[in-house]
Amino acid sequence: MKLLFGKWTAIAKESIDRAAIVAKFLCLLHVTNTYIFSPTLVYGPSMLPTLNLTGDVVLSEYVSHRLGKVGPGDVVLIQSPENPRKMITKRVVAMEGEVVSFLVDPSRSDRSRTVVVPKGHVWIQGDNIYASNDSRNFGPIPYGLIQGKVWCRVWPIDGFGSL
Amino acid sequence: MSLFQLWAFIVKEALDKSFLVAKFFCAVHVTDTYLCSTALVHGPSMLPTFNLTNEIVLLERISTQNGKAGPGDVVVLRSPENPRKFVTKRIIGTEGDNITYIVDPKNSDRTETIIVPKGHVWVQGDNIYNSYDSRNFGPVPYGLLQGKVFWRIWPAGVFGSIGRRPETVDPALKVVEQSNPS
Repeated sequence: MKLLFGKWTAIAKESIDRAAIVAKFLCLLHVTNTYIFSPTLVYGPSMLPTLNLTGDVVLSEYVSHRLGKVGPGDVVLIQSPENPRKMITKRVVAMEGEVVSFLVDPSRSDRSRTVVVPKGHVWIQGDNIYASNDSRNFGPIPYGLIQGKVWCRVWPIDGFGSL
Repeated sequence: MSLFQLWAFIVKEALDKSFLVAKFFCAVHVTDTYLCSTALVHGPSMLPTFNLTNEIVLLERISTQNGKAGPGDVVVLRSPENPRKFVTKRIIGTEGDNITYIVDPKNSDRTETIIVPKGHVWVQGDNIYNSYDSRNFGPVPYGLLQGKVFWRIWPAGVFGSIGRRPETVDPALKVVEQSNPS
């Protein structure tokens, strides 16, 4: 009886050790994915032709926006101001204080508007202005909603390279 | 033992201890980011609920991450005007609510009514005479909320929960009145 109990504790100890190694690896993976860089699947028509309709895997990094290094021309991941659970991918067009002239609804008219981006906000637009729900619809977004910057594409392979 | 063996033993011990410390900091960081955190609040905009001088509060992150922060809750949010600054305000309304607010109570009685857009909240400080809030920078996207304030831990005289309504009397004064039976 004692022998059986001894065997059981040995097995339990070994499984806890193995589980601890897996847990430590998952910790490291989580920290890297949240604070350094991670692969992200992006899809939708609003960033054509830069990003595909059916989905691209891109590497996005989470360091620049904390250092304030996000600027015009960067493709960024943002928490949507209309639905906090949704992440969207758009390009930063203008930073605070800059003047933006944009086509309000290019598929219907040529009307354009000019706006000054308020303090602490950025103006984002999808590359495909004909099918993009962006700052032209919901206004400039606070810089604090930027979650990361898209760095390069890793899938599909023939599109591999920085954006 | 040879010198090299001694040195190897010391290095191994040091690494083990530092791994322990690193694991502890990991646990603290995970708790701080996803469960419960502390914040130092100061400023006049939440009088009389929060004093002018520094107070330490506990904030929980579960409500804001699950969309459960609603009207009456005191929340810490990232300022829409300065992404490096955190402000503490009370949520007055969530998306779809009709908010009627006094635009500038020190100078006039003029009120305005607004409907809070989808995905946004309307925040105001309890001290509307001296608060820079949604009446100035507009409704705030829900994604900027960092956590809900639920408990105050310093100063010790006002240790306790934060209610869903602005305090009408300075909480520190309430304690003094109770201790004086005459």
